[in-house]
Amino acid sequence: MKPNLQIEIGGVTFKNPIMVASGTFGYGEEFEQLIDLDALGGIVTKSITLKERPGHPPPRTYETASGMLNAIGLANVGVERFIDEKLPFLKKLKTAIIVNVAGSAVAEYVEVCRQLDLAGDFDMIELNVSCPNVDKGGMEFGTDAAAMIRVLQAVREVTSRPIIAKLSPNVTSIVEMARAAKEGGAVAVSMINTLVGMAIDVQTWKPGLSNITGGLSGPAIKPVAVAMVYKVARNVDIPIIGIGGISTWMDAVEFHLAGALGLQVGTANFIDPDASMKIIKGTAAYLAARKLGTIHDIVGKVKTDK
Amino acid sequence: MKKIVPQTCLVAANKQLDAAGLYYSLTIADFKTPRPISPGQFVHIKVADGGEVYFRRAFSIADYDPRTGALEIIYKILGRGTARLGDKKKGDRLDIIGPLGNRFSKIPKKSNVVMVAGGVGFPPLYFYAKYLIQSGHDSRQISFFYGGRTRNDLVELSRIKKLGVRFFPCTDDGSFGFKGFVTKAVAEAMGEMNPHHTSVCGCGPEPMLAALQDLALKSGFDGELSLEAPMPCGVGVCLGCIKPTIANPREYVRVCHDGPVFKLGEVAL
Repeated sequence: MKPNLQIEIGGVTFKNPIMVASGTFGYGEEFEQLIDLDALGGIVTKSITLKERPGHPPPRTYETASGMLNAIGLANVGVERFIDEKLPFLKKLKTAIIVNVAGSAVAEYVEVCRQLDLAGDFDMIELNVSCPNVDKGGMEFGTDAAAMIRVLQAVREVTSRPIIAKLSPNVTSIVEMARAAKEGGAVAVSMINTLVGMAIDVQTWKPGLSNITGGLSGPAIKPVAVAMVYKVARNVDIPIIGIGGISTWMDAVEFHLAGALGLQVGTANFIDPDASMKIIKGTAAYLAARKLGTIHDIVGKVKTDK
Repeated sequence: MKKIVPQTCLVAANKQLDAAGLYYSLTIADFKTPRPISPGQFVHIKVADGGEVYFRRAFSIADYDPRTGALEIIYKILGRGTARLGDKKKGDRLDIIGPLGNRFSKIPKKSNVVMVAGGVGFPPLYFYAKYLIQSGHDSRQISFFYGGRTRNDLVELSRIKKLGVRFFPCTDDGSFGFKGFVTKAVAEAMGEMNPHHTSVCGCGPEPMLAALQDLALKSGFDGELSLEAPMPCGVGVCLGCIKPTIANPREYVRVCHDGPVFKLGEVAL
């Protein structure tokens, strides 16, 4: 029997748990020449801010062992151009569209979400309260539980779309932040955003990034992400979308076992543009081989009994 | 249109080109290209399976034969990625995505072309020259300047000569050909050229391209430059390989997706 990969989060149906993560897929257009976009569970757009942002000067990315550092600086076209130029393409796709929103103040988050809500066709908002690379990029909303609740509640007043809170790992207790996301009315948490990192070129003595520090992603952070997903799954009753170095179907299954319902493939899109396709097929084959009918049969099923 | 998916390719040859063992030519016997391949485009190669070398590496296509599918890249060992590529042997497998990026323009047959290559920037220009000649361009209308630090940095000289182009090798130390920077040789030759019927194309180290761009623009020439940058994704989404434009230093182009070939005067170098 063919397993059913379908999941539901906040009233939105995903044909499979695999989404592509914000900042690793642009606005979807570039990947049309590489993969069948309709086969994805969902697409999360690059972070959208109120005004267009050029981002940081180069260098913005740096290779590290099994990972990458980035400090792009929320480069994006701004909400108006996003609605006019990018959303029409995304609307045509037969996959869930999640618009990632970033801001430097509650008012900016609210205004971007208000404009998006009026623009129509998309499924969910993912609130980026965890960008480590800009002075004011929402990080304070991702590290302070009260601020997280405030921004979520303010945004919910202007949009009917279900909201995912994207959590930062750069906190003392990610469980506390997940609780705050739930209290603020988020339908799910996506986790984890990048870990703050730095690299220095030993020949030039200069940092690898113009921003000096950046966000670390890729397989290097996977065990950190799995542990955080596990902790939140055990302590907070909210759907989890797992992110952090997912590159193969085995990584995907690991995140499901830790407690993630949905998943986002991020940096792996750069290395293997068809990684998400392989993960969808691989997960289906894994479930079929074990005669399991749905994703729910493995979510949170890690055996921790002694 | 066919999707550009990663394909596992068999290495047919990985041949050392110089005495010092820095330059190599790697050939894939039957690259099943999903799209036509044009000069200026690149392939994105997984040179290692993770670890210290996590990103793919981009290499401009040095030659491609659509009848046989033979695809060649020429590279210099400069870091840990190219070092891993240098270890590949005939029969090894490589995961390759391509062709990616844009191309050098088609040029009217009566136009003269000045190609300016610096070091390991020569492969896409070699491919371009070959392409123009195969499309009916008179080979004597192509002036091919090729600069390197020393004689060892100029490789595949006989292949370039075989094209029948006007060939101007240059070395910084004078160990072969013109003594001095390749842009100096170009500047001396430009006096006798008519900018209206001449296209200037360059590929090489960024300081060389900056000097060439200044020179060409001041002298009224049009043309194109092929740029290089570390590329995490190669397909225009990570926004890592950006360069500022001349028109607005806070506006960026993506080398991988908007280029790698840009019009002279477009990118601030």
